[in-house]
Amino acid sequence: MSATAVAAKTGAVNVQNVVKIYQRDSQQIKVLDGLTLEVPEGEFLALMGPSGSGKTTLLNLIAGIDRATSGTVRVAGTDLTPLGEGELAKWRSQNIGFIFQFYNLIPVLNALENVELPLLLSHLSKKERRERSLTALRIVGLADRSKHYPRQLSGGQEQRVAIARAIVTDPAVLVADEPTGDLDSKSAEEILDLMQTFNKEFGKTIVMVTHDPRAAARAHTQRHLDKGVLTE
Amino acid sequence: MKFAPLVLKHLHKNWVRTLSTVLALAVCILLFTTLRTVVAAIDFGLHAGNAGRLVTRHNVSLVFTLPLTYKQRIAAFPGVENTVIECWFGGVYRDPKNFFANFAVEPEPFLQVFPEIMLPPEQKERWLNDTRGAIVGRKLAQRFGWKVGDVIPLESTIPPYRIGHPFEFVIDGIYDTDERKYPGTDLNSLYFNYKYLYEATKDRSGGYIGIGWLTVKIANPEDAGKISKAIDAEFENSDKPTKTETEQAFLAGFVAMAGNLALLLNGIGLAVAFTILLVTANTMSIAIRERRQEIAVLKTLGFSSALVLTLILTEALLIGATGGLIGLGLSALLMKWLPNVPMIGDVVATYPNFGLSATTSAFGMGVALLLGLLAGFFPAMSGYRSRIAEALRQV
Repeated sequence: MSATAVAAKTGAVNVQNVVKIYQRDSQQIKVLDGLTLEVPEGEFLALMGPSGSGKTTLLNLIAGIDRATSGTVRVAGTDLTPLGEGELAKWRSQNIGFIFQFYNLIPVLNALENVELPLLLSHLSKKERRERSLTALRIVGLADRSKHYPRQLSGGQEQRVAIARAIVTDPAVLVADEPTGDLDSKSAEEILDLMQTFNKEFGKTIVMVTHDPRAAARAHTQRHLDKGVLTE
Repeated sequence: MKFAPLVLKHLHKNWVRTLSTVLALAVCILLFTTLRTVVAAIDFGLHAGNAGRLVTRHNVSLVFTLPLTYKQRIAAFPGVENTVIECWFGGVYRDPKNFFANFAVEPEPFLQVFPEIMLPPEQKERWLNDTRGAIVGRKLAQRFGWKVGDVIPLESTIPPYRIGHPFEFVIDGIYDTDERKYPGTDLNSLYFNYKYLYEATKDRSGGYIGIGWLTVKIANPEDAGKISKAIDAEFENSDKPTKTETEQAFLAGFVAMAGNLALLLNGIGLAVAFTILLVTANTMSIAIRERRQEIAVLKTLGFSSALVLTLILTEALLIGATGGLIGLGLSALLMKWLPNVPMIGDVVATYPNFGLSATTSAFGMGVALLLGLLAGFFPAMSGYRSRIAEALRQV
């Protein structure tokens, strides 16, 4: 069965009985406690909850940048549990688009080069990479800023470049950690508009962590986490 | 190659730090290659000695001369094929800055005992028949633009050889050598007829000027120890006792404590390299620590840990390679410049093969790359091991 077929059957994201325990010196901190979550394909899910509730940890597990202590995490049709570090990195490059709160653009690269970064891991030619990156920038409305460096862009523009970087590989799932948390309300609205566009027009599954009720209201579904457990 | 802009832009971002690290490495390689060149030159000089030649001198010092009669007595020893009288003349050509070695020798046995001194037949013939004649090495002739037939004045700095005016020598020949057969042969010296020195000074010294040392050609190099002991035993109870040793040992005596000098120079080179390693490693560590978040982002985007490690090591190797190339370039310039420096140039000229060799260059470049690699290793490992979630949490 293909990954797409598996994803259609099990949902784009399928988290089963996940426990995540952090070791802090001699202390064990249970961040996620037997959590189960299913996100269907094309869903726009907002994860809310107080600080320390485990939202970002759950997002990291879904994005394959952290590992569960127990339980299974299946995303885009792939069970992430048995994958090695190298396999997981390759999987991330093909299936996940990550949007950070603080944009995390590489300061020494211009907008176009930042967007092109994930494509460096593909077999595309330089020309193809440039074309795709420009297309992604065009979609987020920043084609005319392609040669600008992060320091020359506003916060909203930086986040739009970060979104272009997240979508340039055409990933199945977009994960966003407080994507509007560092933006003014106008820029936040623009970013949320963009995310809605990707969800509606391109059918991207989006999992977004947010504290902002206005941002959460843009999602189809809102789930609340508290002390590592989904409460609603 | 597609990752090159990422690596180069990082190096360019903190260009002052990159430049200072590169320059530190360049200075290290400059010192390292220069010291190795000096050590190699000394070592080369030591190995230029011929095992079939012994040198007999006064057992106290070269400053004291031996009687002329020793030549006949030593020539009569079994196993001795030939002997040559030699004297250090200490002549100055116009200015003390124009230093070069000059010796009084017996032309005929000299050319027999030193086959590496090669002269065209007509020049050889001329020298053998000219009391005022001298031969000069090809490099020395080039240095002063001398030609065969030129007359040059030399005034000795040694009192018994000072006759109130400079000695005048006619250049009868310009000697060369076969570099492959006789590597290390000195082409920066002047040799003239001992008879000229003797005749010019005998009246001033009461008929006795003596000889500096005797070079003794022996039939079998394996008999060197036996013959040396026999010669020294012969003169042990005379008022002019001798010290006989192989030519190699004699040359080693000139570059006093050459072995220890090489050890000292190598030690300095290693200490400099180690210090630069610490400085470079510290700089690289700071650079990578500042980019922990960025490394986490790259890994999030799908860059494997191995690729991150490779990128950091590439940065370090680029710094090493650039520093190495600049260091070698500076070293090559220094080697070209040194022979023209007053006093130092004269010393350098005494080492026939002084210069940056391909081996030393390759060694210097290897050291630069190794320093870069070692300096980048721990930062690269830290990048390799960093966990994305932890690094992002520290933002």
